[in-house]
Amino acid sequence: MGFNIQGRKRLLGLLLGCSLITVPAFAATPFDRLQVAAQVTERATQSLLLDITRAGERLVAVGEQGLVLLSDDGGEHWRQAEVPVSVLLTAVSFADEQQGWAVGHDGTVLHSTDGGSNWSLKLDGNRINALRVEQLEAQLDTLSLEAEADPVVQENLEFALDDALFAQEDGPNMPLLDVWFADPQHGFVLGAYGQLLQTRDGGSSWQTLGHRLPNPDRFHLNSLLATSAGDLYIAGEAGLLLRSRDRGEQWEALESPYEGSLFAMAELNGLWLMGLRGNLFYSPDGENWQAQALNATATLNGALAVDNKLVLLGQGGLLQAGDRAGFAPLLQERSRQSLSAALVAGTQLLLVGEGGIQRKTLPAGAAQ
Amino acid sequence: MKILTLSILGLVKSSEHLIERVLFHRRRTLLALFVLVTLVLGWQASQIRPDASFVKMIPTEHPYVENYLTYRDDLSGLGNSLRVVVAATEGDIFTPEFQESLRKVTDELFFLPGVDRSALASIWTPNVRWTEVTEEGFVGGPVIPDDYDGSAASLENLRTNILRSGQLGRLVANDFGSAIVQVPLFDRDPETGAALDYQQLSHLLENLVRQPYESDQINIHITGFAKVVGDLIDGARDVALFFAVAFGVTLVLLYLYSGSVSGTLIPLACSLVAVIWQLGLLRLLGFGLDPYSMLVPFLVFAIAVSHGVQIVNTVAQESAEGADSLLASRRAFRALYIPGLTALLSDGLGFVTLMVIQIQVIQDLAIAASIGVAVIILTNLLLLPLLMSWTGVGTRAIARAKRSQAAVHSRWAILTVFARPRGAIVALLVAAGLALAGLQASSDLKIGDLDSGAPELRKDSRYNLDNAFVTSHYSTSSDVFVVMVTTEAEQCASFKTLELVDRFQQYLTNVPGVQSSLSLADVSERVTAGLNEGSLKWRSVSRNQFVINASLAYVPGGLMNGDCSLLPLIMFLDDHKAATLSGVTDSVKAFAAEHDSEQIQFRLAAGNSGIEAATNEVISTAQYKMLLWVYGVVSLLCLLTFRSLRTVICIILPLALTSLLCQALMAKIGIGVKVATLPVIALGVGIGVDYGIYIYTKLNSFLLQGQSLPDAYLATLRTTGKSVAFTGLTLAIGVVLWVLSPIKFQADMGILLTFMFLWNMLGALILLPALTCVLYRHTATKVEQG
Repeated sequence: MGFNIQGRKRLLGLLLGCSLITVPAFAATPFDRLQVAAQVTERATQSLLLDITRAGERLVAVGEQGLVLLSDDGGEHWRQAEVPVSVLLTAVSFADEQQGWAVGHDGTVLHSTDGGSNWSLKLDGNRINALRVEQLEAQLDTLSLEAEADPVVQENLEFALDDALFAQEDGPNMPLLDVWFADPQHGFVLGAYGQLLQTRDGGSSWQTLGHRLPNPDRFHLNSLLATSAGDLYIAGEAGLLLRSRDRGEQWEALESPYEGSLFAMAELNGLWLMGLRGNLFYSPDGENWQAQALNATATLNGALAVDNKLVLLGQGGLLQAGDRAGFAPLLQERSRQSLSAALVAGTQLLLVGEGGIQRKTLPAGAAQ
Repeated sequence: MKILTLSILGLVKSSEHLIERVLFHRRRTLLALFVLVTLVLGWQASQIRPDASFVKMIPTEHPYVENYLTYRDDLSGLGNSLRVVVAATEGDIFTPEFQESLRKVTDELFFLPGVDRSALASIWTPNVRWTEVTEEGFVGGPVIPDDYDGSAASLENLRTNILRSGQLGRLVANDFGSAIVQVPLFDRDPETGAALDYQQLSHLLENLVRQPYESDQINIHITGFAKVVGDLIDGARDVALFFAVAFGVTLVLLYLYSGSVSGTLIPLACSLVAVIWQLGLLRLLGFGLDPYSMLVPFLVFAIAVSHGVQIVNTVAQESAEGADSLLASRRAFRALYIPGLTALLSDGLGFVTLMVIQIQVIQDLAIAASIGVAVIILTNLLLLPLLMSWTGVGTRAIARAKRSQAAVHSRWAILTVFARPRGAIVALLVAAGLALAGLQASSDLKIGDLDSGAPELRKDSRYNLDNAFVTSHYSTSSDVFVVMVTTEAEQCASFKTLELVDRFQQYLTNVPGVQSSLSLADVSERVTAGLNEGSLKWRSVSRNQFVINASLAYVPGGLMNGDCSLLPLIMFLDDHKAATLSGVTDSVKAFAAEHDSEQIQFRLAAGNSGIEAATNEVISTAQYKMLLWVYGVVSLLCLLTFRSLRTVICIILPLALTSLLCQALMAKIGIGVKVATLPVIALGVGIGVDYGIYIYTKLNSFLLQGQSLPDAYLATLRTTGKSVAFTGLTLAIGVVLWVLSPIKFQADMGILLTFMFLWNMLGALILLPALTCVLYRHTATKVEQG
């Protein structure tokens, strides 16, 4: 982008102006992306899409301005689902063929009970903020009734409550970045500024857990991985790496191999951890991590296991496959559009990211 | 208007005798006066300058354009900039030689007058930077490495920097084969306040940039409005050559036709005087010559010659009957003053009707053409017979006129078939068939410009080739449509504004013809992601105003105004066809109707396509208004002259058929109704009616003598048929050469006017007698019997 000197002057004016001005009340029914249904767009499949998953045979992708796309033919044709909000949706997870959850900006949590065709808003930033205040106040009340309250615990709760009150004043402006449901009843949503919420009753009630994490700086929680061993891992900002061995009750901070942000994790003959600037780590047990050489410096956004190889997805169209012996570009052709998530449908690799959905035939040997 | 016309005609009729007396009794004084005026106006005419103003070509009273003009200064970063492409003919831009040329071109452009130097951008300017997210945060630098030395390593470094700067497709071609220098211009010099001299700039670009740097290895392509204007002014100069050619051809034809040296030179000289007067008067009134009114001198010349021919022809016939040159001239004056004046008045009023179109170039054209026609009254209806009264037509011409009068058989006899019932009905049936076919074909008539690139210039012009190069190698279209989103001051970047603009941009993805759109919301989204380590999951307008403000720390030029009350939303369109543009405007209006409030308004329209949308809207309504006016005025004039509705029908219907066929022709060869072609029908009708008036006047005089229609028509043809045919030819010659003009719209005007002049002539020669035959059948028989 060609930035110019005038831009700086404008910024100054803007900053000065904005610090003085309070946003005036808008017309009777102002547009609010948390209240307006996603609009139908002919270019849905070329829009920014961030996550893709399966609901039984059906494929579900989510992305900008409330887009939820459905395909019943392995990704050849897509249609738009009914979504009550127009915020950027960041992640989607299905507990079974019917029960799905999607999260996004402004604290949006959406629920579908019909395999993704229709969605309803279960939580938004306002409700999350209110929930946090409510639950923290209740916990403080309970604590004050106890005879021997731990002053450290109390102080932490008070600090968290202050934080929650401040956030409430700020409005619903914290995005959620990932969602995972173990079963239709039990799931987690997580996101910016250390937010973590859990439901054990299919979304009827939610518990805020953010303040219970060993995350004093309230770093962003970027992604959650449930391993085959039943452990839960959360990877986050500034090298944050958390683990729970009891389905999310207690969380411990693991020693991180990296001080930069971690964006994703994957499991394939051990655990893989990835983040900024091509940083990739492998661990057999989640505790001892080894850096893996990668001939690329683009940020890694996600990974999936295909045919006993790990396929890495990243910024600038990075798409490499490999294992501990090393990685190499998966396809000959290469676009520059950043990739966010992918899945395999038959012989096709379905990639989502900046340019929407890309459908690539897997090279022989990489598929099946 | 009606009263005015009536009184003018009344005045004309009563003045005829007076004027004739003064004219032929004060010949020397009048001649001296004519010479004096010609000298003064000639000096004025020599001072006239080419002129092309953007504002004059657009409908300034249309609400879109009013909006645009309101925010014009704020939008300047978008509107007026040049793009100079330095392209490698072989290989790519990563050679030391190429980079050296690009650096030098950048420097040359930096020092051109009128350039906004702070905003000049190429990969060699320090304001073009790359950024990247690292563990420590943002890092970045100028795209040209600080330690650039032309080595392979530093060139490789440059390639990396270009990729991470996001300039691929913008300042560097998608195939790395060329690079752009973006040159924003000031409309007015900030120091002197002088308006930008487009012609000078265009020449400097050619002489300082294109010529010195273009070579076997390097091509230079230049695009931008300023270059279009420069090329237009240059192209308009070629017209002088066409004028010379038209003059030469007319000279030869005139001599062949009249067989008389004086009968050739005097009409030509008088017509030239008319052109000089017209140009001189324009200059006196403060007009310049823009590429549209540039064509008026041709018309004036052609119309003047055609009237001159009538007079010379009559003088020859009168002389053949034994009158001396003075008497022959007086008789010719007497015979032709009224029809000549009526014809010229109808020309002039036809042109004046163009004033109903609220586009200044068309109004200027109307003024220039009306002045020209007014001047012809003096030069060719007065000065010409005056001069002929001294010289006469010469013995050869007189002998020729005698021979043709004496001849029993005439080539023209064949045309009298149309004055007999059977032939008339056949002719009218054919005409009706043509009218039906024309109606069918003209239903495909499109509004607006149909070709890509700069529609003013030809498809294969250097400019449009340059433009095609840019659109095919870069990711931006040249058809730009801007919606001006306005808010209260300091609110253009508020969350509420950006959220709605974001929605609007997604809405636009459903509008046919919209390739992509760009606004402050895109910048905010991308930079917000950047501030969050480039993560795609953050690529959204933040609800947190502080995050938005931080994301807009660096805003590329033209995406907001100084007090942040304007957010231009830029759409790139597939093309600028009228249907595309009206689809876009309708969609924007629908969105605005739903979302406009006190806090935010979505206003149409700026950008070249936005302005064109306004122009199209004006033209599509003006088209019918103008037709109504021109036909109304011309019919009224005929009615006043001939005092018979049937006569009006005889004269007007053939013209209407020509107009219809002209529209069909436009539809068939892909010329849209636009600023340049809209006046053509008014010009065609205004001038075309001349034939009808001349023929009908003569025909009527013979009918009144008691001749049958075929006989009267033959007599008419033998006296004026030849000059009518010749008139059609001279008019067509005047305009047919425009077809060669480097300016597309001049060529379009040339084709259409040539077509109209020739068809109007045929209509007058064939349909007029046919209609008379059918409409006056009863009367004619009665006359015959009587």
